[in-house]
Amino acid sequence: MHRREALKNVAFLLGGAISASTMGVLFESFTLPENEKNFVLYSLEDEKIFAEFADIIVPTTKSSAGAKAAGLGKFIPMMMKDCYPATMQTSFAQGFKDLQAKSMKDFGKSYITLTPADRKKLMIDLRAIALAQKASKSEENKDLAYFFITARDLTLLGYYSSEIGCTKAREYVLIPGRYDGNVPLKPGQKSWAT
Amino acid sequence: MNLNTNLKAENTYDAIVIGSGISGGWAAKELTEKGLRVLMLERGMNIEHITGYETAMKNPWDFKHAGKLTEEQKRTHPVQKRDYPYQEANEKWWVNDLECPYTEDKRFDWYRGFHVGGKSLMWGRQSYRFSDHNFEDNAKDGHGSDWPVRYAELSPWYDYAERFAGISGSKENWSTCPDGQFLPPMDLNIVEKSVKARIEEHYKRERIMMIGRVANLTVPHKGRGNCQYRNLCSRGCPFGAYFSTQSSTLPAAMATKRLTLRPYSIVNHIIYDKDTKKAKGVMVIDAETNKTMEFYAKIVFVNGSTLGSTFVLLNSTSEAHPNGLGNGSGQLGHNLMDHHFRCGASGEAEGFDDKYTYGRRANGIYVPRYQNIGNDKRDYLRGFGYQGGASRANWQDDVAELSFGADLKQKMTTPGKWSMGLGGFGEMLPYYENKVYIDKTKKDKWGQPVLAIDCEYKENEKKMRVDMMNDAAEMLEKAGMKNVKTFDNDCYPGMAIHEMGTARMGNDPKTSVLNKWNQMHEVNNVFVTDGSCMPSIACQNPSLTFMALTARACDYAVKELKKKNI
Repeated sequence: MHRREALKNVAFLLGGAISASTMGVLFESFTLPENEKNFVLYSLEDEKIFAEFADIIVPTTKSSAGAKAAGLGKFIPMMMKDCYPATMQTSFAQGFKDLQAKSMKDFGKSYITLTPADRKKLMIDLRAIALAQKASKSEENKDLAYFFITARDLTLLGYYSSEIGCTKAREYVLIPGRYDGNVPLKPGQKSWAT
Repeated sequence: MNLNTNLKAENTYDAIVIGSGISGGWAAKELTEKGLRVLMLERGMNIEHITGYETAMKNPWDFKHAGKLTEEQKRTHPVQKRDYPYQEANEKWWVNDLECPYTEDKRFDWYRGFHVGGKSLMWGRQSYRFSDHNFEDNAKDGHGSDWPVRYAELSPWYDYAERFAGISGSKENWSTCPDGQFLPPMDLNIVEKSVKARIEEHYKRERIMMIGRVANLTVPHKGRGNCQYRNLCSRGCPFGAYFSTQSSTLPAAMATKRLTLRPYSIVNHIIYDKDTKKAKGVMVIDAETNKTMEFYAKIVFVNGSTLGSTFVLLNSTSEAHPNGLGNGSGQLGHNLMDHHFRCGASGEAEGFDDKYTYGRRANGIYVPRYQNIGNDKRDYLRGFGYQGGASRANWQDDVAELSFGADLKQKMTTPGKWSMGLGGFGEMLPYYENKVYIDKTKKDKWGQPVLAIDCEYKENEKKMRVDMMNDAAEMLEKAGMKNVKTFDNDCYPGMAIHEMGTARMGNDPKTSVLNKWNQMHEVNNVFVTDGSCMPSIACQNPSLTFMALTARACDYAVKELKKKNI
């Protein structure tokens, strides 16, 4: 059948921007034994934290609103609960706690009360921690690194399949009606959502 | 069994068609149009044309999980989840593997859809004729049994199938992939046109590249709308723009008022009458109530998909047919084949930065087989074709690893590089030892035994895969692509969803199950016209050949019925 379609979907949706572990879970349908039940739940307060976190990954810009407006605060924990094996959920949940602890340690404030500028500083740290942990494969910061990488992946996935992501950040046509394989690219033209 | 005679009369038809997919739909259409009263049995649910395509008009954001599978779906679909076809948008159309298990002596990915229309709703729609090279290969190199049919005989039936189904494509005058009755071709994009020109020039047209021949309408056809370039075919097309049972053969059969369609009807076995030496009907398990019942007919068409049909035949045992119906040859269940693919090459196209595309073409390019033809000699038998295409992805080139923020967002919304990929589709030889058989140690949800599958690729396929990568890389380089990379993502039988060969045709009843009319050598009112009939599989996508063979077999069967020969 259409391998090409599948490759294209993966490439178009996410390109090289997504991590290998997320590719494994979401695209190669990796599963752990079925006796490992899903159990991590997130509160409405948690959803607010996810929304602010995601909004640093994909912020509002001139063209379009960002991840918070696109509903990522609910999307990320929902995907975690429905689509990830229990051990990964556990690691993610621990990383989520570590994020809040780091916020208190570095800024003396809970994550939700940080200014966007401080959240960005924190995110720069998280990225450095994740890159270092990936390289060293050490136990230290393992959960925090997993959380950052996965929450970032889910933000990109959720944002670029959201209505804002498809119709404002990118361009979307439900029924093109025709195919033209030789269209001049206009200056500043957005890429197709699908 | 005591049946009252009224019930028996009510349950009696001229013909029974087992299965409602591509070949079953064709059998129902042809037989009803020729005046027969037909019962078409489908083991799964009904799906109505258009109104049954629940997700067809959904936007990306209308799906809860952004198209991804949940842990629960992965748990209940341990086989279907192995590759991309099983996805959120059409997940209802793939079987729950826990309800219908099978035994994998070796890994075999068995993709199944139990519903009216079968895989005709989710198929890839690529439609290529076989050529005389393909019909003669078995006889020439001695693998498998000789095809009892040659191209000249099947050619008018290809015409017939294409005219009804609506196949778009270009004429190329290429010996391994004959031209047909095409609707206007879809367009190649600007990069594909450039690659085509450079390949054909470099290889002096000993290799060609064309737009895929596809069962998508490029113009309105027989009351069906043309393709809207949404590339969402696998959800069902509300415009009826691709060939499926629902869009095409079922409405034609229904229009005769001679078709009865019965969903939720699992055919457990074909009932053999030892006095007449014919099949007298089928025993059915109602999939919802688990009740069994019998239906009777003068002829039975078996179109339950290659392995589905083979199960029914192997499970139809009697004193006269202890090893399965019509299995005196011992070939039933053997010679299982599938295409091998998932390897090739891709590269980047430079110089087209000012070009983009509009619309989502549900089709790619095709490079028909050129190996082991004329002066082209390889260290393996048979050959392969390529499918692929060029597209322009989103920008991702200088995205820093794990970056975030406005800069990443900007890049992810900007058209990036053009790339072009070629993926090989290779022929697999028929090997007797690649087989299926009934495993009585397990039961499905309905209490039936299950199939065991023992199938693997061998040396010929492995050697071919090396060329499938290297030839692709060479052609892309000759076509000016940069940064060309080969890939082999591993392939297991079943993945191409082109399983075929387990009830093969042949001239000799000692070495084949079916004769040249897809008629059982040993039970002359049983016809098998799905993929199980194929003595070899070529490297082309096979469904068009099933359509042509089915229409031809129906024509023969009705003539024989009228002559009272069956």
